[in-house]
Order: sequence, then structure tokens, then C-alpha cells
Amino acid sequence: MSLTETAQQVRRRDLRIPLAAVLIVLALAAPFIGSRYITHSLIIALIFMLPAHGLNLLVGYTGLLSLAQAAFFGIGAYTAGLLAVTYGTPFYVNLIAAGAVSGALALPLGIPALRLRSTSFVMCTLGFVIIGQAIAKNWISLTRGDMGLSGIPKPYFELGPLSFTVSGTTNFYYLALIIGVLATCAVWAIVRSPAGRNMVAIRENETLAESLGVPTWHYKLIVFMISAVFAGIGGCLYAYYLTVVSPLTFQMYYSTTMLIIVLGGGAGMISGTVFGSLLFVGLTEALRITPELRMIAYGFCLLVLVFWFKNGFAPLINRFWNAIGGAK
Amino acid sequence: MLSTIVEQTVNGIVTGSVYAIVAVGMTMIFGVLRAINFAHGEYYMLGTFGAWFAIDYLGLSYEASIVVGVLATIAVAYVVGQLVMRRMVGAPAESGVLATLGIALILQNTIILVFGGGYKFFAGGYIEPVSILGFSLAQQRILILVVCLLVFIGLELMVSYTRLGMAMRAVSQNVECCSVVGIDVPQVVLRTFMLGAALAALSGVLTAPVNVSVYGGMGELITFKTLPIIIMGGLGNVRGTFVAAMILGVAESLVATYVGLQFRDTVGFATLILMLMWRPHGLFSTQARF
Amino acid sequence: MTGHLPLLAIKNLSKSYGAVKAVNDVSIHIDRGEIAGLIGPNGSGKSTFFDCSTGLAKPDTGTVVLDGQDITGWSLNRIAREGRMLRSFQKTVTFKSLDVEENLVIAGQMFTFPSIASTFGLGKMSRRRIDGLRERARELIKMAGLWDVRHQPAGNLSGGQQKLIQFASMLMPEPKLILLDEPMAGINPKIIERVVDTILYANKSLGVSFLVIEHNIDVVTSICQRVIVLDQGAKLVEGLPGDIIQDQRVREAYLGG
Repeated sequence: MSLTETAQQVRRRDLRIPLAAVLIVLALAAPFIGSRYITHSLIIALIFMLPAHGLNLLVGYTGLLSLAQAAFFGIGAYTAGLLAVTYGTPFYVNLIAAGAVSGALALPLGIPALRLRSTSFVMCTLGFVIIGQAIAKNWISLTRGDMGLSGIPKPYFELGPLSFTVSGTTNFYYLALIIGVLATCAVWAIVRSPAGRNMVAIRENETLAESLGVPTWHYKLIVFMISAVFAGIGGCLYAYYLTVVSPLTFQMYYSTTMLIIVLGGGAGMISGTVFGSLLFVGLTEALRITPELRMIAYGFCLLVLVFWFKNGFAPLINRFWNAIGGAK
Repeated sequence: MLSTIVEQTVNGIVTGSVYAIVAVGMTMIFGVLRAINFAHGEYYMLGTFGAWFAIDYLGLSYEASIVVGVLATIAVAYVVGQLVMRRMVGAPAESGVLATLGIALILQNTIILVFGGGYKFFAGGYIEPVSILGFSLAQQRILILVVCLLVFIGLELMVSYTRLGMAMRAVSQNVECCSVVGIDVPQVVLRTFMLGAALAALSGVLTAPVNVSVYGGMGELITFKTLPIIIMGGLGNVRGTFVAAMILGVAESLVATYVGLQFRDTVGFATLILMLMWRPHGLFSTQARF
Repeated sequence: MTGHLPLLAIKNLSKSYGAVKAVNDVSIHIDRGEIAGLIGPNGSGKSTFFDCSTGLAKPDTGTVVLDGQDITGWSLNRIAREGRMLRSFQKTVTFKSLDVEENLVIAGQMFTFPSIASTFGLGKMSRRRIDGLRERARELIKMAGLWDVRHQPAGNLSGGQQKLIQFASMLMPEPKLILLDEPMAGINPKIIERVVDTILYANKSLGVSFLVIEHNIDVVTSICQRVIVLDQGAKLVEGLPGDIIQDQRVREAYLGG
């Protein structure tokens, strides 16, 4: 930097607002700009973002590594699917029920699990997923076993005289987008609250937090339940998108994907989870290469993350965001 | 009725032996690295594929294929160990999970890419049955039992009498002290890792004649079976892992026969969860007792 | 009547670890407004005694009564939150990645928010509470001399500064009693002065009582009004600092052990 430049103090423009505007426009217009396949990838990314937000609260903010998200994802999917197919209840009821049931089940599962030390806890949460799949496969009277539930109707909204059926990828995208934005706002609210601060304290130093009056065990359980609610809502959306629910909804691969979204995006940062979903789920869906190559690339990506981006990609995004914010 | 139970129990012990050889490797790796190796089952798969390749493409005998399978896996483990596992010393748990998951994806899918995803037929092994105490048992299964015993006796000796064994014990008990005392921790980690992978491969090659079919995704199930075993046995606890593996093998066999085959693969985690609820600190002490 | 009731009354506390009796039938009391010292050679059971009194360890026998309330067996966070008795740790601990002000706000949160549920709120009530906490935090930061670095992450600051943060954190919830575990360990004399001043300020102006484990005799004599001596897990003697230093038994315990 030459003396003349610093002397002139060139005032760089704050590019953040225009960039944000562009991103919002892109998000709103996506189905019309991209192909149907891209819209599909975005929908999947949004669906997985929901349990990832929950997991971020657990891992990033409270410091609890859990692989149970797929279990609650599946529970939510089955709850919504069963209600829709058996009782024909409207979409929003099923959405709330999916979240509520998942959150409620997280209580009896979380209480014994949270007593465990970290490695045992991880394995126990993984066990929930595997047991979940076994139950889904074998409780045939409820879940129809391997055949699964099919024929989930399209989401249907009724507001007084207006009624609207969400059919087609484009409409579903907007539904997923709305729910995704609402969920992101909810996580943001939790993180900004005093409770969010307590969670960070627990992550940083649990004993210190405890000595300052924070009931750490209660918070861990509450966050475990909240995170299950997010996963359940994601599961409901998944069920409606695929119109089919099967035991394969309970798979470890989903849990690890959600973990990768959070850790790869940047644990402890909401923008990290959003970016992570786009990158790890959206991108992998969209890449039309052989599944094996995709998985190998994915594997290398994980190694890159572990060695060079321990805090995920979020710090990079943040630096970029601040950089274009303009320095005076 | 009794003879069936005994027969199933014997089968269970054989299965348990398979699991034990794989699990002991995983638990030793945990002992020195404090990381769960989510890719461990892939080394079992690699050993099997190496042996299958030796028989099908190179026309070697079964005995030679065992050597090929294990050596090939050791070679791969060496590369993975140097590039990844050594560097995981002192890393947080999340890193270990992601790194080993990544390795698992790479190994599994590379094999599928190269050899195709279909089931392959494993043509070697001593599948002739012999009659023992009124039961008919394939020779291969007896071989598995014998090898398992030899492996565990060998490990006990190694841990007590060899430099590597003692270094492994030291590292698993107190990592910080080790570097002060002059133990090259990353080197111990590398060697333990290679040993663990080799054992997994050995188990794979020995079991291949019994399983008959070989496919790229077979490692995943093994990883899933092994995880509950090492927790129940006590992380880093070799003897405990042996017992836990046997218990699981027999339990699986009995459940498959008397409850239903579809529940067999769930026994491991179901037992684990029940145990964790009842005895959160494991069935045995988790003090690394190599 | 209540003026004579001690703030903290510990009776017959015992704790064994296997065959080792770390604390052997110890009874002490702390009066309101007092700064008491707890001294003794290494291994005399001081830290174990602290752990048992504050919920980090379960005593085998004995009762702990705080301000008339039996808190024996209470958890660490309940003692802090409901009992308003806090303790420090020998190792200086702070929330390293958070800035000084955040450290203090967290320290005060559980005392202004009546329930766990209320901490999830973002409404006016919640914001007002947080603003109040911030104000109090800033006062304490100024008093501790940390104003210039208040936006720095605690992990970036020196050991002595982190000690001050730790200290200021414990003053946030307006505690009745603070148990300090070797507060002067490993910090330079300049900061020692500051910490001593802070303790005296908290005692005189904020009415906080103290029980201090300390090895530094100068500090003990300058701030403690009464000193209790532990040796091999049992109470040896207690009295005024001047008398204790002269006491033959105390000297033997330190030299002979």
C-alpha cells in the first residue's frame, strides 16, 4: 500500500447489503432460474438444514456430540406419515405433531443417555438410530414394516375461503423455504437469548458454569429435546416430499450427514449450518456423477475439513462477509 | 432341543471369535488414540477382497490368499496411518469421527468403483465339515476358533513382553507422560493402528469361506457390530472385549434361532443400550488393561 | 437472635477416598461479614473439605448448614444459585473464548432469571434483566481495573487478569459467602495487591463473607480475621492470625509433615 493510497483513505463501499439482496432474490427466484433438478437439490438441502440446526444447538452451542438426529428425523417422518395416511389430518397439524412427538420422546431417551460419558453417549445416540430402524422394520402393525407408508397426500392449506394444495417441485420449494426461514429465526432467537449464553458457557467449561449456578444437566436435556423437535419437523417435511416413509429413514448416514453439515459449515454459528446444508447436501445432490465418485469426493472433503478447516467453513465466510463490508 | 441350543451356542462362539479379532483391534486403537475408528470394518473388507483377488485373479491357493489379503490391508493401513491416524493424536472427538468416516467412504467406494458393487463368490477355504462330539462343524469354523485363541494369547504376550506392547500400555494410560519419557507417540499409534487393521483383515479372510459372498459394503455391518462390543467390553480393555464379543456372538446366534432372524443384527446395539442404562460405566472397568 | 447464627455451619464432616481419610470429623463455622482463613500443609484435606462443602463431592458424614438452611447433598449449581455460596477453583478458569463482559454477564444470569424457562425469553423483561447485569458487570470491571480490555476474549489475557475476571464473576450474583481456593497462587505481587483490595472491598462494601484457603502468610495475616488450621484431615486449632502463627502445634504441622 503506497503512502498516497493511505493518505487518500479510499472509502470502499459496503457491499454487504447489495450481496444480501442478491442472495435473497436468488433464493426467491431459484425455481425459475435453475432447473428442476437444482430446485430438488435445494429442497433436500432445506429439509436437512432443519435437523442440522437442532444438532448445531447441541454440538456447537452446548458441546454435546450426538448421532441421534436421524432417529428423531425418522420419528417425525413416521408421525407425520401415519397421521396423514390414517387420519388425513392437515399438513400443519402433522408438522406440529411431528415436532412434538420427537421432542417428547427425546425426554425418556435423553435422561439416561445424558448420564453417560462422551464416547458412550455418542454410541448410545447411534444406538437410538439403529433401534429406531429395527422398530420401524418390525412393528409391522404400526409401520407396515419394510413396505413403509406410501401415498402421503400433498400438503393442503385452508384459510377460510382460500385453499391451496402444494403440488409440484416449485411450490414445495417455497414451502420448504418458508419453514426453513422460520426455523432459522427460531434458532437465532434461542441463541441470542440468555439461555443461549448459558449453553455456550456449558460448552466452554461445564464445571465453571455449574459453579456459577447454571443447572447444566437440565439445559443439556432441554437442548436435546429442542434439537429433537427440529429433527422431527425436518422428518415431516421429508415424508411429504417423498410421499413415502420407510425404515430407511432411520439411517446412520443421515445422522453423519447432519453432523457434517454442522461441523463442516461451522459449529456454533447459524450461518455455518445454513451454508453447510447448501454445500454438503445441496451440492452433492446436484452433482451428477456416479454415486461412488461422489462418496469418494465426500470422503476426501471430510479429511480436508478435519485437517485444514477445523472450525468449518464458517470463519472463511465470516471473513469474506466482513471484508466486503468495506473498511473506512 | 438341547443339541440345537448347543449347536447354536457353538456357532455363536465362532461368530464371537470373528467379532473378537476385529473388535480387539478397534479397542487397541481407541486405547492409544482415544478415537473410535468408524472405518475399522473396511479393513475387514479389504482383507477379504485382497484374498478374493488373489484367488480369482492371481490363481493363488487359499493359504497364499490369506497372506495376500492381510499384507495388502497392512499396506493400505500404513498409508492411512501415516497420512491421517498419526495426526489425530490429541485431536478432539469430532475430528476422529469425521476423519474415520471419510476414510470409510473412500475405501468402501474405491473398491466398489474398481470391482463393481455386486456380490462376488469366495472360492477358497476349508469348508469341509468334520464331526465333533456329534456335531457337524465346518473345518473353517474350527480354524477361526483356533486363530482367535492364538491371537489373544499372542496379544497378552506381546503386551507384557515386547517393547511395542509396553509402549501401547503407556500411551493408553498417560499420553503426556509418554512424550516426556521419550516414547514416540505417533509411531506407537501408527503401529497399533496397523496391527488393528491387520487383525481385522485376518478375521475377514478367515470368515470369507463361511460367508461365501464378498461385496464392497460388507465392512459397514462389521463396524456396526464392533462398536457396541468395544463399549461393553470397556474401551481399551482387551480381555473385556474378548468376553463381550463372545457374549454378542452367542446372543446373536440364539436370537436368530429362537426369536427371529430379522432381529439378529440389532442385538448388539440393543444390548449396548440396555447395558448403558443399567451400568453407565461399562461391564468391566475401562482402565486400559492391555 | 439471628445475629448470632453463623452464616455457614459445618458439623462433623468426613470424607474418605478408599482407605485414605481425607477429611476427618471437621466442624467449622463462618460468621456473617467475616473473612476467615483455612490453612494447613499440603495434603491436610483443605481442597477436599471445600469440595464436600460446595457439592463437588459427597461427604460420607456431616452436615452443611448455610444461613440456617441445610444444604448437605445439594448440587454445585443449586448451592450457587439458591444458597448464594460460590467457590473458586485453584486453576484460574474463565470462559476463554468469550469477552470479559460476557464472562460476567453469564456469572450473573442465573441469579436474575427466576427459572430456566425464563432464560429462553427475548422480551422486554429479559432484556431489562440483561441490561441490569451489564451495568453491574461494567462497575465490577472498572473496579477490577479491566476496563481497557473488557472486549477482549478472556483467553487472550494474562493469568493475573483472568484471576481478576474470575473474582469479579463471583461478585456478580451478590453472594453471601465466597470460598476461595488459593486465590493468590501463581500471580505476581502487583495483582495480589489488587485481589486483596477486591476482597476487602467486597467484604466491607458488598457485605460478602469469605473463607480463604491460602498459603501466603502475609495475605492471611492482612485480610483474615480468624484462621482455622487443618492437619491430616482434622482441625488442629483456630484463632486470631497472630496467635496461630506463634502456635507451636501449627509450626510442627508445617515443618514436621
